[in-house]
Amino acid sequence: MDSAPVDAGPEAGISVPTPLKILVAGGFGVGKTTMVGTLSEIPPLNTEQAMTEVSEGVDDLAAVPDKRTTTVAMDFGRITIDDSMILYLFGTPGQTRFWFMWDELASGAVGAVVLVDLRRIDDCFAAVDYFENRRLPFVVAVNGFPDTHAFPESEVREALLISSDVPLIWTDARDSELSRSALVSLVEHALTRAA
Amino acid sequence: MMWGAAPEASAGGRVVPVYALTNGRTRAVGRDIPIESLVSVTEHGRRGAVALDIEYRRIIELGERLISLVEIGYALGLPVGVARVLVSDLAESGHLSVHAPPPVAAYGGPSQEILGRLLDGLRAC
Repeated sequence: MDSAPVDAGPEAGISVPTPLKILVAGGFGVGKTTMVGTLSEIPPLNTEQAMTEVSEGVDDLAAVPDKRTTTVAMDFGRITIDDSMILYLFGTPGQTRFWFMWDELASGAVGAVVLVDLRRIDDCFAAVDYFENRRLPFVVAVNGFPDTHAFPESEVREALLISSDVPLIWTDARDSELSRSALVSLVEHALTRAA
Repeated sequence: MMWGAAPEASAGGRVVPVYALTNGRTRAVGRDIPIESLVSVTEHGRRGAVALDIEYRRIIELGERLISLVEIGYALGLPVGVARVLVSDLAESGHLSVHAPPPVAAYGGPSQEILGRLLDGLRAC
């Protein structure tokens, strides 16, 4: 059983911690699961979420259901900030077809860390577009695959098509200090939006 | 035991379709419960659990320690959507208290005060 910072309900007169969430997004294999695992105080959990997906371009036959259920893998982890605050981390699937799942996760979230592999930058566009359209605070974090430091920031920004107010940072999803500092950058950025 | 099974085993191995547990409901009735909401058992829940179906009893057991909706889904090997309906049932019947995330500020996210506390906490860790 995982430990929880408070083990009694509100009836005991103990205040309940505030739950917050941050999303870790990006393309397939970019390191989302690794980062959630690096940051989480519990072993990162992977859930298969059954989701109803509206299919498009299907002939409107009465006998054919217009929805089908698909399964989406999602990682989650947890950081107990203090007695009064718990931060949940969600590693979310990068494909645009899963936008319906992002909507729920993005709602009320602090923001998102979009992980990028510079060898496959196209994979992050769906996430960047989504968070921009939704006006959710996000930072773009270049994951430390070999040779990524060879590119200057201006070139990376240009390639990623991100606006100048979106923080761009270098990280390593395997490193807890660097991963945590990605979260710090995100929260700092979110604060400028909240102000 | 079915309900304690690891989530990996649940996808193909479940005898009863998960949505049968909720009578086909995929949305919680009455209130929406965000995925990170925390849940705790009430006194009524502690006393009344024995009369409930097994999946409800498992949730009440889990609620003895504060637990998030997403973690309940994981522990039961259920999609969050199904766990949400079951938790909502238990909240309606007074067996559980649901502690929702903080209300969002005008820009759509947590307030400046809450973000400031989060930032301090992350830096101190």
